Amino acid sequence: MSQTTDRPQQADDDDSDASSSAASVQSTAPTGDTVLSVSDLRKTYGDGEDGVTAVDGVSLDVNRGEVVGVLGPNGAGKTTTIKSILGLVVPSSGSVEIAGVDADDDPRGVYRHVGAMLEGARNVYWKLTVRENLEFFAALGGNDPEAARSRHDKLLDQFNLAEKADDAVNELSRGQKQKVSLAATLARGTDVVFLDEPTLGLDVEASLELRRELRRLADEDDITVVLSSHDMDVVEDVCDRVVILSDGRVIADDPVEELVGVFETQAYRVVAAGQLPGEVRSRLVRDYRVENFDVLDDRTRFDVTLGDDDSLHGVLGVLDDAGHDLLDVDGLEPDLEDVFLDVTGRASGGDGQ
Amino acid sequence: MSAPTADASVDTGARGYLRFFAASLRKRVLLMVRYPVNFFSTIANMLILFAAVFYGGRAIAPTAISNSIEGIIVGYLLWTLSMSAFSGLSWNVTRESQWGTLEQLFMSPFGFGRVMLAKTVTNVLVSFFTGSLVLLFMMTVTGRWLAIDPLTLLPLGVLAVAPAVGIGFALGGLAIRFKRVENLFQIMQFVFIGLIAAPVSQYPLLKWLPLAQGSQLLRTAMKDGVALWALPAGEIGVLVVTAVGYLGLGYAAFHYCQRWARREGVMGHY
Repeated sequence: MSQTTDRPQQADDDDSDASSSAASVQSTAPTGDTVLSVSDLRKTYGDGEDGVTAVDGVSLDVNRGEVVGVLGPNGAGKTTTIKSILGLVVPSSGSVEIAGVDADDDPRGVYRHVGAMLEGARNVYWKLTVRENLEFFAALGGNDPEAARSRHDKLLDQFNLAEKADDAVNELSRGQKQKVSLAATLARGTDVVFLDEPTLGLDVEASLELRRELRRLADEDDITVVLSSHDMDVVEDVCDRVVILSDGRVIADDPVEELVGVFETQAYRVVAAGQLPGEVRSRLVRDYRVENFDVLDDRTRFDVTLGDDDSLHGVLGVLDDAGHDLLDVDGLEPDLEDVFLDVTGRASGGDGQ
Repeated sequence: MSAPTADASVDTGARGYLRFFAASLRKRVLLMVRYPVNFFSTIANMLILFAAVFYGGRAIAPTAISNSIEGIIVGYLLWTLSMSAFSGLSWNVTRESQWGTLEQLFMSPFGFGRVMLAKTVTNVLVSFFTGSLVLLFMMTVTGRWLAIDPLTLLPLGVLAVAPAVGIGFALGGLAIRFKRVENLFQIMQFVFIGLIAAPVSQYPLLKWLPLAQGSQLLRTAMKDGVALWALPAGEIGVLVVTAVGYLGLGYAAFHYCQRWARREGVMGHY
């Protein structure tokens, strides 16, 4: 697949159109202008037989105003990929272009357009106040702090931080600190922001608020967001598109709706009255994916994971036939690993990647 | 609305850089004020140590101390300046790396080099501020008032301290790459004493070591009241070469180490 059709229009005046032609993974139809283009990015630590490949040929195009979620199990290479795109890790090969600026040719130029909030880092100065942080990071990004003031006021309002503007960051709650980090990242007014696990450690309410803000940034301010997360709900809520990494490779790159089916609960915990006799249990095990039988005094609990052809009614029918009342059914959150395995299987069987 | 005009509002020219420099200085001062215990304990340490040297020395060997007190004051001043410039840089890089703000500094459109330059100049300014406090204290305590000619002292001081900044860069770089190198920082204070007290007039080759020549010339200027333009051009030449050389080497080491850290993917990992 060629990338030449979705060249960044912004770049026309300052760059020759030398396109790196590495095959891009099946990205969604590029309708708007591409603001981030990653092509065949690789990172290997060490060399020879001891070499460890953390990023293995990642290609990715992101349009302006799009929110892309990067998902993957631990060790899939999410953080290394993000840091390689940002130049915080020197990639072994591949090219990165942000807003038409080639990261290799002009590393400083790239930082005019991109900011990042990194995982496990404070990202901001805790002894400075919220506003002092925004001002410092704006100046670090080459903005005029005075001119940026109205944008900062808006950010503080949006994040409900206006009252805390003159408090030192270390006096704030964890959720507020996280929001300050995000606000400081946005204070520079870049077109693209990378957010590594932005909702990690936030309580539900703060996480919901942050998600709303992220969505709004993309919809109203046309900011492009690339975020990595472990949290399926965050990805489902916020992202237009999901890229799944496994072993340093892109194994899926789909609109979020297409993956939602996978995220949806397909596993249930069932509680039936009485103790299930042996033949009922073996019938369940034979016909359905049932496990974790737990026999209590007057009830039996088990988990069932539905396959494509199964329905919960079928399982409940078995219980009904045997005369056991149904006491409770609960949806079980699917294991993230299961989802990845499922997607991996689908990707290797389907799209040939 | 169309795309954000991020690029238009970004000024990485001289004005933007000056604004960033002002923001760095402001940040540095604010952090100093908000970690007052750190700041004042550093100064208090310097003052107490000097008082101990002076009063202790006078009790044990009154004549020796009174004959060499000017030399001690100048040497101690340079040591204060060097320690402050050196540790300001190396500790600061270490701390920023722990805080995860170093990566943010790296991702600046000014470029990491220029961001670090602003940090360095800020640091040297702060060192001169603490240095003046310490100098004032020393002269008050000893009752010896040395020649203070800013036109001579400032340029000499900057050149004299430059090698310490270079060493600060080099060790800051090692800290980014290898992390726990704080012990090395501690050792440096003794190394600096040795360099400042190097017997340059006895062994002229020693003037090529970091800090040695600066120490020698500062002593001449402050003790004997010799103005900058009255110092031998050859000696000034050695000072300039060592200042620029060690600073350049230190910065090169820093640059190498940060790239090395990024190749290994350990920048900001703590």
